[in-house]
Parts: sequence; C-alpha cells; structure tokens
Amino acid sequence: MNIKVETLNEIKIASIDGRIDSTNSGEFEKPIIKTIDDGCLKMIVDCSGLNYISSSGLRVFLAAQKKMKALSGTLLLCGLQPAIKEVFDIAGFSLIFKVFPERDSALNSLSQ
Amino acid sequence: MERDLIMNLKIMVVDDEVDLEPLIRQKFRRQIRDGIYDFVFAHNGLEALAKLIEQPEIRLILSDINMPEMDGLTLLTKLKELKSPWLKTVIVSAYGDMENIRTAMNRGAFDFLTKPISFDDLEITINKTLEEINMIWQSTREHDQLVSIQQDLQTAREIQQAILPKTFPPYPERSDFSIYASMIAAKEVGGDFFDFFMIDNDHLGFVIGDVSGKGVPAAIFMAVSRTLIRATGIKGISASECMGYVNRLLCNESVSSMFVSVFYGILNTMTGSIEYVNAGHNPPFIISDGNVIKLEMTEGIILGCMDDFDFSSKKVHLNIGDKLYLYTDGVTEAFDLKSELFGEPRLLSFLTSKGSGSVVDLVKDSFAEVAEYSKGAPQSDDITLLAICYNGNGKD
Repeated sequence: MNIKVETLNEIKIASIDGRIDSTNSGEFEKPIIKTIDDGCLKMIVDCSGLNYISSSGLRVFLAAQKKMKALSGTLLLCGLQPAIKEVFDIAGFSLIFKVFPERDSALNSLSQ
Repeated sequence: MERDLIMNLKIMVVDDEVDLEPLIRQKFRRQIRDGIYDFVFAHNGLEALAKLIEQPEIRLILSDINMPEMDGLTLLTKLKELKSPWLKTVIVSAYGDMENIRTAMNRGAFDFLTKPISFDDLEITINKTLEEINMIWQSTREHDQLVSIQQDLQTAREIQQAILPKTFPPYPERSDFSIYASMIAAKEVGGDFFDFFMIDNDHLGFVIGDVSGKGVPAAIFMAVSRTLIRATGIKGISASECMGYVNRLLCNESVSSMFVSVFYGILNTMTGSIEYVNAGHNPPFIISDGNVIKLEMTEGIILGCMDDFDFSSKKVHLNIGDKLYLYTDGVTEAFDLKSELFGEPRLLSFLTSKGSGSVVDLVKDSFAEVAEYSKGAPQSDDITLLAICYNGNGKD
C-alpha cells in the first residue's frame, strides 16, 4: 500500500494505492490521523487506487471520521472501485461517509 | 527469581595471595560502603567453587592462574560446566604470559588483567563486565516475558474456543432443525464468533459476527459482543430491538473505533420463518432445491459506531430441507498464492454443486474447499461458518 497526502489550499487530499489489511492498517492510520491532528478540517481520501480493504482498514476510516466529526470538520471519500463500494455498502458505511464518484466532484462539494 | 537490573554486584576474588583482600577492601571502600560492589574472597579454585555454591548471587569472578589445590585454568573448566549465562570470569595473569591467557580465553574467560593489577583498569573491567551481565540479564527477562505472553495467548485461545458452542448436535432430542458451525482463527485468537441459543421452545436465536482487526483486541471485543447478544437475545425481544440495544452498549465500549459486523436471526421452529437483522455483515445464502439465493439485506450498519441507529428487520421463510448458510469474509477473502481472492462467485458455485448434503458436511466441505484454494498461502483472516437446515415441525 502507498499513501500520498497533497495539499490544495486548506484541503488535504490523501490518495491510497493498493491493499489495506490488518498487516498494514497502521501505516494507513498514522498519516491520516496525523493530518487531522495537525489541524486539517477538510480532507478527501481518494480511493481510486485502493483495490482491497479488510475490516482493519474500515476501522481506520471510522476512527478518522469520528475524529473529524468531533472537530466539526469534513471527511469525504471518492473514487471507490465497485468491490470496495460493496464492502462499504454492506458495512453500512454509506450512512456515515459522503462518497463521490471522483475527486473533482468531492472538491466541488468542499468549495461550496 | 529477582529480575531487576543488577545494581549491587557481588564479585569473588580468587587468589592465594592473602594480602590482596585488605588492599581491595581499601581501594574500593567507597563502592563497598555505597553498596555498589560486594567482595567475597577465596584462595584457590576449590574454595571458589564451594563459595559459589553457598552464594549463587556471585556474578563476577576475578581469578589468578597459579594457585594450590585447583588452579585458575581448571576452575574455568569447572565454571563452564555450570553454563550460567550471567557468571563472568576475568583472569589475572603475569604480564606477557600469553599462552595461559589464550588458554583461559578459550576456556570461556570473559576478559583478562595483568599483574601488577592497576585498580583503575580493574574498575573499568568490572563495569564493562557488569554491563554485559545486565544485557544478558535483560534479554533473558524479555525472553521469559515473551514466553509468558505466548502462554497467555494459548490460554486466551482456549477460553475463546470454550465460549463458542462446541457440542454438536447441540439439541440431540430435536428433529425440527439441524445446525452446525465452526471457527478457525488466523492468529492464536480471533475476532470472529458464532453463537446460538433457544429463546423458548419454538425460537432459535443464532448469530455470526466479525470484529474489525484480529488478535487480542479483536478477541476481547468479540467476547463482549457475543455475551451482550446472547444475554439480550435470550430475553425474547425482536431481532431489531436486540441489535439496537447491543449497538448502544457497544458504542459506549468501542474505545479505539472497533466495531463488529453481525447477522442476527430468530428461527421460528414451528413455521420455518426467520426474522433477521443484518448489521453490516455479508448477506448469508439460502440453499433451496439446488438453488442458491443471496438473502436480501436489511438497512443496517456495523455495531459500535452509531449509537442512535434504528435497525429494521426482514423476514424470510425456509421450506422443509432449506438451508441457511452464514459466513464471515475470511471465506470470500481467502487468498491463494497469487494473491487472488476466493471470491463470492466461487463460493456460489461451490454451494450450488455441493450444497445438498448435511449441515455438518456443508461446513466441513467449505473449510476444505477454502483450504484447498489457498493451499500454501497463510490464512489472512479468521474463517467462520454456520449452517442451519429446517426439517419441519413434523406436524405438516
């Protein structure tokens, strides 16, 4: 798994590539939580390169969303591949996360 | 055994020179007074061995080579037989006596000093040896702790296996349904669970669940989840009420955003009808007359993250001979050596061709199928299966 965090004005965009499972969910958690701890209140996680996620990975998304909510910030997801979307849907995460088809529509939503 | 780092070093000086004792006591009087060093004296190898037996807390031996009764080199051989990792010997030899020094080193001496002894050098040597002993002491302690953790894990595994139902058939006097289930954890302990219980004579509660993550944190959360569901479900409230109640409790417990996906159902054994709630779990399958149908999802969410969520339930009817097949994602997400997933289509085709046997065969064959598929690849997630067959109430 690779994670890259870019900055666009006050928005942070984290792009993930590869798989997130119990062996590497810590590597995914650290930069995401650190970005929020560093004061970011608008964040997009671009999942277009994510091709597998286990429950350990879902836990990180949930932890990030809880943290963001507590700070009244916004965390958006975009670019979920169909298999990932299905995992999110089954878990009921579609009720907790705003999901956009691609990065631009997520960015648009944040700039409104 | 005492396991703190050694602060008070007991040193045995072995030398037939009787004047050495007052000299050492004088030179190191401050360290002796402060309790940093403690000296014991012996005058030959035999006496040294006797004292060592009396005082096993001796960690460092400072020994001359030429002595009556038993010389220093023989003493070294005897000490080596003790195989104590934290007993070190420093040999004192005449300057230039390279042959004896080499022999001593080959017999396991830690270091050597030359006569006449420089007390500054002696102190440096003592401290260096003490560091070495402490390092060995510490790594031994860490090793012991690791062994103890592994034993704890093994105990935890036994406890975890013990809280899952393991007597099959569980209700040998009943012919209206049959049930079989099994869990194989990827690590010593797992985050998956299954459970079932009679709510009353005509209602069987059953559940399968998967806690986020693996290992000890998941196992603890699993035990809490399983206990809450059983204690709540057995009261006889509806499946949706049960999930709502357990969810609220788990939200309070979920410290590090842990959650659990659960499928909970109540089978009416008189009618074959099942009321169920799917709280973020993989939808189970119904195997009916050779057809495999995915159960319709209910609007649900994993337990432990949204405390005000209102769960709704759905109903499905099992005809006589129909089976309900519940599984965790360890089945569909088992990898083969090429990192390809087992996947839902493969599971579907397995159930279509092999789904007609007993619930016991169905579960066992499923495990075998997954094991065969992922042959050689390590098991990446816990795998749990639960199958129920409705046999009718015998009155139709």
